[in-house]
Amino acid sequence: MKNITIIAALAATLGLSTAASAAELVFTSWGGTTQDVQKAAWADKFTEKTGTAVVQDGPTDYGKIKAMVEAAGVTWDVVDVEGDYAVQAGKAGLLEKLDFSVIDKTKLDPRFVTDYSVGSFYYSFVIGCNKDAVSACPKTWADLFDTAKFPGKRTFYKWSAPGVIEAALLADGVAADKLYPLDLDRAFKKLDTIKADIVWWSGGAQSQQLLASAEAPFGSFWNGRLTALAATGVTVETSWDQNITAADALVVPKGAKNKDEAMKFIALATSAEAQAEMAKGTGYAPINVGSPALMDADVAKTLPDQQTASQVNADMGYWAENRDAIGERWYAWQAK
Amino acid sequence: MATLTDPGGIAGTVKPRIVRQYNFAQTVPALALILLFFVLPVLALLLRSVLEPQPGFGNYAALLGSTTYLKIFLNTFVVSALVTAVSLAIGFPVAWALAIMPSRLSSVVFAILLLSMWTNLLTRTYAWMVLLQRTGVINKTLMGLGLIDQPLPLVNNLVGVTIGMTYIMLPFIILPLYGVIRRIDPAILQAAALCGATRFQALTRILIPLAAPGMVSGALMVFVMSLGYFVTPALLGGTANMMLAELIAQFVQSLVNWGMGGAAALILLVVTLTLYAVQLRLFGPARMGGH
Amino acid sequence: MLLNFERLGAWKWILLVITGLTAAFLILPIVFIAALSFGSSQWLIFPPPSWTLQWYKAFLADPRWLEAAWTSFRIAAVVTVLSVLIGLVASFGLVRGRFIGKEALRALFLTPMILPVVVLAVALYAFFLRIGLNGTTTGFVIAHLVVALPFSILSMTNALEGFDKSIEDAAVLCGAHPLEAKIRVTLPAISHGLFSAAVFSFLTSWDEVVLAIFMASPTLQTLPVKIWTTLRQDLTPVIAAASTLLVIVTIALMLLAALVRKGLKS
Repeated sequence: MKNITIIAALAATLGLSTAASAAELVFTSWGGTTQDVQKAAWADKFTEKTGTAVVQDGPTDYGKIKAMVEAAGVTWDVVDVEGDYAVQAGKAGLLEKLDFSVIDKTKLDPRFVTDYSVGSFYYSFVIGCNKDAVSACPKTWADLFDTAKFPGKRTFYKWSAPGVIEAALLADGVAADKLYPLDLDRAFKKLDTIKADIVWWSGGAQSQQLLASAEAPFGSFWNGRLTALAATGVTVETSWDQNITAADALVVPKGAKNKDEAMKFIALATSAEAQAEMAKGTGYAPINVGSPALMDADVAKTLPDQQTASQVNADMGYWAENRDAIGERWYAWQAK
Repeated sequence: MATLTDPGGIAGTVKPRIVRQYNFAQTVPALALILLFFVLPVLALLLRSVLEPQPGFGNYAALLGSTTYLKIFLNTFVVSALVTAVSLAIGFPVAWALAIMPSRLSSVVFAILLLSMWTNLLTRTYAWMVLLQRTGVINKTLMGLGLIDQPLPLVNNLVGVTIGMTYIMLPFIILPLYGVIRRIDPAILQAAALCGATRFQALTRILIPLAAPGMVSGALMVFVMSLGYFVTPALLGGTANMMLAELIAQFVQSLVNWGMGGAAALILLVVTLTLYAVQLRLFGPARMGGH
Repeated sequence: MLLNFERLGAWKWILLVITGLTAAFLILPIVFIAALSFGSSQWLIFPPPSWTLQWYKAFLADPRWLEAAWTSFRIAAVVTVLSVLIGLVASFGLVRGRFIGKEALRALFLTPMILPVVVLAVALYAFFLRIGLNGTTTGFVIAHLVVALPFSILSMTNALEGFDKSIEDAAVLCGAHPLEAKIRVTLPAISHGLFSAAVFSFLTSWDEVVLAIFMASPTLQTLPVKIWTTLRQDLTPVIAAASTLLVIVTIALMLLAALVRKGLKS
């Protein structure tokens, strides 16, 4: 019995949650170098400007967000989440409405702005290929789904998110403007034709590893990852044909303790300079339309906003509406 | 001071104090901990499986009616059973060897065993991923030696999951079994030899039955752990080998559908506890004496 | 004669081969990780183009790695002590007690191992939020203790059941206090069970990642969480360097322990 009394006593004395104090903001993201860059480009600049300290937390976890909002014990003030989740969570009442009197909406790419979220950064799914490992590289989504012309393993993003289903439909000949509503049956049928040759990547780093080691010499990747990979000396060929955009978003959980500071933080994070810094450090694209002008020409060249010729925008609204339904069918199909 | 070596002298003068003190009270600290910090919070969450999104058993109907989910359930149990069987098959001879080897040799093997457990799980699993790839070291070596001319598919399938999980589970079989075998009185086996038993007979009719409690305990631990595992199967298996824990993680953390996640978890719990009860009926009496 | 190494005959070699192969199997990834940690390629390609110490430098230069390792270690240490203590007492009750519902209780103690840990993580997180334990070391320890206890109880009930109680009774008959008899007779006899319980409890906490994600706070990050987020984002051999360093430190400690034991013996 003694053990429990000791623990209870300890709990009473030590058991205070680490709630951010008045002059402190908690920013949560996915960790790794992306968050390191977000810290340098946004958090540190914010602290310089306003004097408010920014604490880094992570990784982002949607289960945690739901639990903390429900328990009214929100410890995160600004969170980097996936774009479609942001829309869905906003509808589900888990987020604060953004204060657009503080955040300047006019300069932001409208594709990524909703009442509850603004883009954090965006990226495109492109076709990547390890030139040293194969004789010919696929150039279109139809190529990537063609195992006769391009034999071998190919890699795709494992989780249910905008990107793969659209690619399958495009490969099957659906016109880019007729993608939505998504014909899941058709997409899965197309995916079935190459299922045995798919190796799934579950994280950005794994996708790079697969391509670099030629375990999967081509596939669908986030553009930033390919840029980074090429910089380490791997001969990567990228095809931007019908690249599919998707974005991360910044949100404020409902009941956040430092709501006003959070809005100011987001205003800074989405400003032209901050976005340009972020893009430079990560290879992802800025969501502020004024940023490309502030960046080096050769860096700007690698970004999705220069590749709009055949660009396809994943419909975040559609995904948010149908996130659960698509997710269940996706995992069901994968497990077959 | 009384000692075991002088029973006759002291025992007559000191009153024996065999107090009946083994009872429920000793389990109370553990029970309190589990009730407060496990049963209560988890029940609260599992309750949502019958309350969300609408009150009723909709979630259970969806799970039990879907062939995919049933396939995942089945796969989880099959993989766990397979890993348990392989771990036992390898673990028993190793534990046996460790119990009787000269201590110089056994210390080295123990050190290796402990080191393998000590390395971070994710790191170990990633290492296996890279080792087993088609362009990985193992395939390259086998091809270099001329044993095969096409790389073997060792990862992203059942083989990879089995290798990876056996790697992690082996110590959980070896350590307890080692302890049990060490405790076996060698005289029993010597007696068997004197009575003319062959080594094989001594193995199957004496050693294994005597070691059985350790085997059952280890197998139980491994089987149950495997059921709830998802990191290693997720990285080393293909999506067709998806395990239940990964599905539940998807429900809880990605789709944030706690109703379904809770329902799946509860089904797993019920089935496993049922199997445990069955195991108890079959192996319960085989426990070594000690009461 | 099966338990006599010398008299096993041909079977001795079979056992040795199996053990040798298993040992090789167990050490293969560790050696591989060590090799990768010295490779110059950022990608886990073997053999690497050249050798370098840069990953070790990067690891030691980033205080967050060492902090995370220290956090993991101290939490695991506390969890181990508590798990063995509580588990030991509970095991005595489970093995020697005679009360209704004993088997049900034993099954209950097993359930934290069966339930997928993510369910416990969310449940505990929501619970701790309400009582203010989230983001605290105490909460962390409790969470890990819940999942470590089943290992502890399983190991020690297993050992206790294989222990012939009459020896302990004999000690009591000779005048020893029951507690003294336990400490001086029973505990040494079940030491392998205690050792297993301690090892499994420590490793359960040390390697645990899902609960750690939920219990974490900016100041309380454990090593597995750091490795997890790093592996998903950036594959760098820094993780291999971290692993190898840990292995080297452990080997050093083991050798030290062995030398001390030898010194004590002589």
